[in-house]
Amino acid sequence: MSKKKIHDQRLLKEAQHAMLELNTRRHFLKESAMGLGALAFGSLFGSCGTNTAPSNDIVFDPVHPLMPKFPHFPGRAKSVIYLHMAGAPSQLELFDYKPELVKMDGQDCPKSLLEGKRFAFIRGVPKMMGHQAKFAQHGESRAWISDNMPHLSTIADEISFLKAVSTDQFNHAPAQLMMHTGAPRLGRPSLGSWVTYGLGTENQNLPGFVVLTSGGNNPDAGKSVWGNGFLPSVYQGVQCRSVGDPVLFIKDPDGMDQDIRKASIEAINKVNQEAHGVFNDPEILSRISQYELAYKMQISVPEVMDIKNEPDYIHEMYGTKPGKESFANNVLLARKLVEKGVRFVQLFDWGWDSHGAGSEDALEIGFKNKCRQVDKCITALILDLKQRGLLEETLVVWGGEFGRTPMQENRLGVKMPFKGRDHHSEAFTMWMAGGGIKRGGLYGETDEIGHSAISGKVEPFDIQATILHQLGFDHERFTYPFQGRPFRLTDTRGRVIREIIG
Amino acid sequence: MFSRYGKIIIVILVVVVSSLIITWFTNRQPVDFTTHVKPIINQKCITCHGGVKQKAGFSLLFREEALAKTESGKQAIIPGDAANSELIKRLTLNDPEERMPYMHEPLSSQEIDIFRRWINEGAKWGDHWAYVPVKEVEVPQPKAFFNLVSKESEWAQNPIDNFIENKLDENNLKRSLSADRNTLLRRVSLDLIGVQPPDHLAQKFLEGSSEEDYTALVDSLLASPRYGEKWASMWMDLARYADTKGYEKDDGRDIWKYRDWLIKAFNDDKPYVRFLTEQIAGDLLPDATDAELIATAFHRNSMTNDEGGTDNEEFRTSAVIDRVNTTWDATMGTTFGCVQCHSHPYDPFKHAEYYKFYAFFNNSRDEDTQDDYPLLRHYNDTLQQELFKVVDWVEKDSSPEKAKELTTFLKTWQPTYNTAACDSFINSALGDPTWIIFRDNGVCRMKNVNLDNNENLIFRYSGFTDGGTWKIHLDKPDGPVIASAPLGKTGSGGWNWKIEQTDVKPASGVHDLYFTYTNPNLKKDQSGARIDWIYFTDPLPGSEKKGFREVENTFWKLLRANVPTTPVMIENPPYMRRASHVFERGNWMVKGDKVEPGVPGSLNPFPEDAPANRLGLAMWLTSKQNPLTARAMVNRVWEQLFGTGLAETLEDMGSQGIPPTHPELLDWLSYQFMNEYNWSLKKLIRTMVLSATYQQDSKIPDELLEKDPYNKFYARSSRVRLSAEQIRDQALCISGKLNEEMYGPSVYPYQPKGLWLSPYNGRDWITSKGDDQYRRAVYTYWKRSAPYPSMITFDGVARDVCTSRRVRTNTPLQALTILNDSAYIDLARHFAYRMQKEAGDEVKEQVSKGYQLATYHPIDDNSLAALMELYNISYNRFKDDGEKARKLLGGKSNGQDDAKTAALVVVANAMMNLDEVVTRN
Repeated sequence: MSKKKIHDQRLLKEAQHAMLELNTRRHFLKESAMGLGALAFGSLFGSCGTNTAPSNDIVFDPVHPLMPKFPHFPGRAKSVIYLHMAGAPSQLELFDYKPELVKMDGQDCPKSLLEGKRFAFIRGVPKMMGHQAKFAQHGESRAWISDNMPHLSTIADEISFLKAVSTDQFNHAPAQLMMHTGAPRLGRPSLGSWVTYGLGTENQNLPGFVVLTSGGNNPDAGKSVWGNGFLPSVYQGVQCRSVGDPVLFIKDPDGMDQDIRKASIEAINKVNQEAHGVFNDPEILSRISQYELAYKMQISVPEVMDIKNEPDYIHEMYGTKPGKESFANNVLLARKLVEKGVRFVQLFDWGWDSHGAGSEDALEIGFKNKCRQVDKCITALILDLKQRGLLEETLVVWGGEFGRTPMQENRLGVKMPFKGRDHHSEAFTMWMAGGGIKRGGLYGETDEIGHSAISGKVEPFDIQATILHQLGFDHERFTYPFQGRPFRLTDTRGRVIREIIG
Repeated sequence: MFSRYGKIIIVILVVVVSSLIITWFTNRQPVDFTTHVKPIINQKCITCHGGVKQKAGFSLLFREEALAKTESGKQAIIPGDAANSELIKRLTLNDPEERMPYMHEPLSSQEIDIFRRWINEGAKWGDHWAYVPVKEVEVPQPKAFFNLVSKESEWAQNPIDNFIENKLDENNLKRSLSADRNTLLRRVSLDLIGVQPPDHLAQKFLEGSSEEDYTALVDSLLASPRYGEKWASMWMDLARYADTKGYEKDDGRDIWKYRDWLIKAFNDDKPYVRFLTEQIAGDLLPDATDAELIATAFHRNSMTNDEGGTDNEEFRTSAVIDRVNTTWDATMGTTFGCVQCHSHPYDPFKHAEYYKFYAFFNNSRDEDTQDDYPLLRHYNDTLQQELFKVVDWVEKDSSPEKAKELTTFLKTWQPTYNTAACDSFINSALGDPTWIIFRDNGVCRMKNVNLDNNENLIFRYSGFTDGGTWKIHLDKPDGPVIASAPLGKTGSGGWNWKIEQTDVKPASGVHDLYFTYTNPNLKKDQSGARIDWIYFTDPLPGSEKKGFREVENTFWKLLRANVPTTPVMIENPPYMRRASHVFERGNWMVKGDKVEPGVPGSLNPFPEDAPANRLGLAMWLTSKQNPLTARAMVNRVWEQLFGTGLAETLEDMGSQGIPPTHPELLDWLSYQFMNEYNWSLKKLIRTMVLSATYQQDSKIPDELLEKDPYNKFYARSSRVRLSAEQIRDQALCISGKLNEEMYGPSVYPYQPKGLWLSPYNGRDWITSKGDDQYRRAVYTYWKRSAPYPSMITFDGVARDVCTSRRVRTNTPLQALTILNDSAYIDLARHFAYRMQKEAGDEVKEQVSKGYQLATYHPIDDNSLAALMELYNISYNRFKDDGEKARKLLGGKSNGQDDAKTAALVVVANAMMNLDEVVTRN
């Protein structure tokens, strides 16, 4: 046989093998319905300089589940940093300025706002309450921002505000689930899971979807807000921690150094290679590569999760202190992770539930402290991403799970010891920046007391549709087949908020 | 007489002619709705003309809809007359505005032809395979001689193999040889009991040579108590079993007795129909036992929301919906959830039918209260004896009915009215959000209370301050007072609950009650007392008799006893019955038509003699006419043993699911399961593992890899990565640390710190001491919002909702878990100690022994060389750095050379990570 022929046969065999590997497990989609074969070829060879157009449908590849994939169209953003203030920050102390509400301060709440309404804690007739902060307009967009966010005020023009976000859930856990999974009950995949399923990730040595929490508690809905739901578990968020192992089980056991670990991975893979010789099961090859990857992760994760080596000016800018568990540290980590090619970084900061039952959740005390903890570092994040040229391809999203009432909370019908507001689902503010979002945008408006949306109302599905759109997905076509039907994050709803797209 | 050649010619002629005839017949076979028409409908038409949308008034979901006149007044399908059927016209028009599918690619001419022929042949409707009752199936025999005669299979051990062989022959695939004994031993043991076999069984089997050995091994494994633990794990995903309540606070819930019930039920081989009946309606069985009540905890595994400010009715409704969906997913392998909002898009289930089914479950007593009422209160033997005394007394002095009522009340505190149902609050509110809390001059209303049993009121309360008085008024806040009671301070701080009683002025019928509370000792806005539940009853009978005082004291002792509990299902008495309505578009706040309990019309009819409650539902579900129950379970069991279901989509046997690879086999097994095995799971499992199909080797010849990479045709045994539970349990086995203790509260094996961070929940993971560290995975505490990490990493599910199938993945995080998780490092140490102990001083022997222990196979030379190299690298490192060795040994020496032991721990750790160890061959 000629050398060329042998070479060609090898190539052919390799290609066949790659195909087999790709289809190792039973197909997860009905071939007839989705045309798996064709798609697999598309994504396998699409990037190898052939003329095959990249496929427009997203398919689960069990062997390379996190391999970078093409979205439906070229997206403006490559990655997302989602900052969720768990507990729901008060839009009326931050962004939604209402002079009329100030005038009504201390008056009984009009009956019309109470009839037929369900509240979490307000009972009877509560009193209206004016802003517990001073407001001013900032930037060319003339955005109203309160003195709780002095740093953010300086970059108003980088941001697009959504002033009339509305949800249909008014308890924390269901509302957080709604925001992140598109359903108030458990069992659906989270936004970050959808995104990593659809796009894979750029850096195989790091998890594609990282979750960082601060504030001493997990979000109210627990890990389900970064759960994979019915998507394969490889797409669930990986929680990284600033205390203890940065990723669970990433550190070698005490006494085992890196050389021994390297030797043991090599030994495991050698024995597995033998097993492959016996069983001929492609799954074994996949296991071998997962062990190599695990070893690489053991080196890259601690590296990226360590902020000690960041220069002083960065620490000053973010207000970070290495070794501490803080939101600011997490924000800096988010920048580092995105820089390294992590697809989706989800931050949860707990402690924004300002009912006014104690000083910690009082608008005049605890809330102001929370604002101080986030204002500087979030501003730093935007500026830092910008100076690195990353802001254009990094979508930053900020918000809570709902808003807060223009009335002062009167828990169980009693006057509260501190100033606080109850859960409010009808109108609140979120913002986005970078990733192709309009600079200095304002969209939506609430009524004169900040109670309801009067124009530009958007709901969680619209936020999700917009995030997906910036990443290159048509949210209506972005589906996963489960229980006999194609499921999508936005269910039957969702509208891309084009008004804030740059 | 014909010559020899003549005979051959005749045979050939017969063959040719008959095959021509067969071909002709096949071609002329009528179009089959299910296999030919329905797939086109589902793919091309149903989105606009089905359960969700009926554009132009046309739907193809049910025959009567499809044949009805559409909005245009025309009939889309005229049976027998394709030419005049609007459907065919619209499929073939040229105008893209008119031609269907609207604004999509036209159907192919073949597809249109199928529609045309189908209509001309009468447009007969066909039922989807899974919705047709299971019938007896003929076992195929291998064909010989140009497919003209049947012969005995040389391979088949039982009829399963005939079905498999038949398909293999059709596809020209060669089956594999039988696996060797070592492989078979490990395989069948992991599959049946989830762990490695007990030593005596292993030895007996490996040393034996008779054909009966395997059957004997299987029977011993089926009889092992480990069996129930393995199969309970499977069911716990379906039952969404967890040790916490879910949602925000995610507090603990004592429901482990249900897990124990499952293990026992599997071990006792409780017939599957009985197994289902007890779980769905155990409380409604005549004279239900405690065990039958515990079985109903199946549906108390739904979540309870304790988050402050939540609406109890919203989450009660949500739990009922979860029970409906779980019943369908778990027992019938069918997605019913879609029908919550609208008629099923593809399958014959109507929107209203969802709520008829919902009505079966809408009358249980639970109301999303914080304490998870109703609870079964577990009396110890002494208390149980005392209970008998009180019950005997009441039975003698009153009636058996009264005695039963009293038993139920003492054992469950039911049927009580929860104050969570109160409204119209003045100076009062629901706290947490389950109890009414009063301030001075507090008022609230409890609607629709039945006062027919009304001489005595028993109530549970807690008081923060002395001096409070509670009054119950009839019909309005200042209506006549029928009862009153002082609510004093209970315990320090007033958080302790107390059960008390008071007299009630006779009244009858159903009334709204108004509660008032006054307490001059309270400051404005200060809370005085909480009431949990109230219960109207008759006083104990026989107060005039000798011994009454003692009985009365015992009654109170039993009622107030602080005992372990399990949440169970209790049906509402008639006077508490809830009406059920259709929820428009699935929104529980928008109620549509009222509905009564009922089952979908497209499945088997509701049994005539069955009551219209959960017990009747269980009778319907377990009827042999129910087309789904047996099939769903057979399919599940098959998946557990063969790696993939006969119908791969365990969660959906409907028309959008992946159809079974061997439908006749699925039906044959289902028929056997119901009729021959009398629903015995052990018999079903036994048949499967005794088949030659199951016993095949799992090596994959190149030809099979190419022709059948997914092993759809079973020409070999599947190789399957072990489940999360099996990986842990096997590690416990090979390290010699498995603690075989069964049952009891869940345990806390090692877990890194700081993973439990639920808001408003001070609880933390406190690692179990001693041997509880080494219990099987099925006993590991399961917190919904933070499940045990290694379980989740290995594709365990969160158990928030019923999950039919775990999708297996292969990720670096899995590698990191067995490599680095301290729980696995600990086991690697013990594994190394065991190698040293059982294999003499030679390291090679120790490593070989370890491999043998983990895989049941002797190690090959190359693998041994690789592991020895690892040993030597490690040993050299540890020899020079004793501190490192001691660290790896957890600071403890086992009396051997630390460097040697530590190096062996490294090898043990590597061994636990081997593909052959984490895979079932």
